[in-house]
Amino acid sequence: MTDSSGLERGYRRLLACYPKTFRHEQEEEILAVLMASARPGQRRPRLAESADLLRSALGMRLRAPRPGPPSRPWSDALALFSIAAPLFLLVADILEVALPYHLPPTTRYGLIARMLGRHVRIGGLPLFSQPFFDIAVGCQVIVSALVLLALRRLALAALAAAAVYWIVARHSVSWIPYPVQLLSAGVYILEAAALIASPGPRRGRHLMNWRHGVVLLVAAAAVQVSTLMYDAKSPPVRFLARRPPDTTVYLVGSIVLAVTVVSLAVAWKLNRYFLLLLAAMCYPYAMQLAFSSTGDNTDLLGLPTPGHLALLFLPPLLFAGGAVLVAVTPRRSRALLSPDSGQPV
Amino acid sequence: MTQRAMQEATFLILTALAAGSQHGYGIITDVQAISHGRVRLRAGTLYTALDRLRADELIAVDREEAVDNRLRRYYRLTPKGSKRLAAEAGRLQANATAALSRLDLAGGVT
Repeated sequence: MTDSSGLERGYRRLLACYPKTFRHEQEEEILAVLMASARPGQRRPRLAESADLLRSALGMRLRAPRPGPPSRPWSDALALFSIAAPLFLLVADILEVALPYHLPPTTRYGLIARMLGRHVRIGGLPLFSQPFFDIAVGCQVIVSALVLLALRRLALAALAAAAVYWIVARHSVSWIPYPVQLLSAGVYILEAAALIASPGPRRGRHLMNWRHGVVLLVAAAAVQVSTLMYDAKSPPVRFLARRPPDTTVYLVGSIVLAVTVVSLAVAWKLNRYFLLLLAAMCYPYAMQLAFSSTGDNTDLLGLPTPGHLALLFLPPLLFAGGAVLVAVTPRRSRALLSPDSGQPV
Repeated sequence: MTQRAMQEATFLILTALAAGSQHGYGIITDVQAISHGRVRLRAGTLYTALDRLRADELIAVDREEAVDNRLRRYYRLTPKGSKRLAAEAGRLQANATAALSRLDLAGGVT
């Protein structure tokens, strides 16, 4: 039996000799060819293969630089998103638990709290005692683990199972904070498209670097700070507070963090399609936040009408559908329009 | 202006793509078939050549697929690549004709 994992590791070690830019573009493809060419039972790269790869890598390192092969920003963005989005959601959950909104002391809450004999807050560890939250987080952990392991089909199956469970248990969903609900919906819709239409999480794992990690962490922080603003305006606080809590610090904080995200992404020249996908993912939450901030306490998810649901979820659904269509459309016509198409001379 | 003669591996790769787009492993097996098993490209050699041919705009990426969780990229001949292959095939044919013609004059091949 072929020890494919050991053989693959051996090939990857050899491919590491290629220039980074070439590896970035071609490694997965060459690896597929090498694995397809391997003999049954082969456990490690053969001497002739190793010599060929090393000679090729050396040649590429020594030759004069030339314009690189065409980039694939859209499919790369989807691949990157397929691995980044579930991790982003997990970080957002962790922040929701770690940084709960504490009701301000100058409220009627103090009296009620003394009557209840416990501390009241929105978010935090008590979330895990709410119905469904632990299961929702568990689903997210499973999806994240599967994409990290580059198991695309299993990740898709887990995603589908989680979506079905959300629909079946929709009456319990209201126990989950709205930001988590809406971010989860945005992630699940676009993650499904990314897993279907992209080269896959293996490619995403290859593309991801610490800069993406920093941007995602700051973005998750921006979401959590804006969530505190949302919580401060939520019905329980409005009921308990003598006067509406001042949310200026949360508003300024979330704006500063959001601007930081955009600035870092521009400075580090991150894939703009990837950023577009992140924006589409956050759209339902941003919409809910915008409506809740209008002053008339409009709540799109409280008693959602079909119009509210369409406003929240139709744009990311259309975006996801468009992404799949672009990815599965035969590329000949698009290739002819691209600069590398080799038009007649 | 005359062009440099094409390396055999390059000629065979372009020939493999002349009938339609192919992925890397398909090119390797096709080149082996075209050369009757004489030329067996290895992955390193193939991708060095493909990279150069793409930079020279003789081939282009046709499409990409994910098969068994692995990226598969199909390459196609560009119009420029077709012209270059036709020119090279013509040059080889002219050389071969000249060689065979002179061998005939000299009494034929034994």
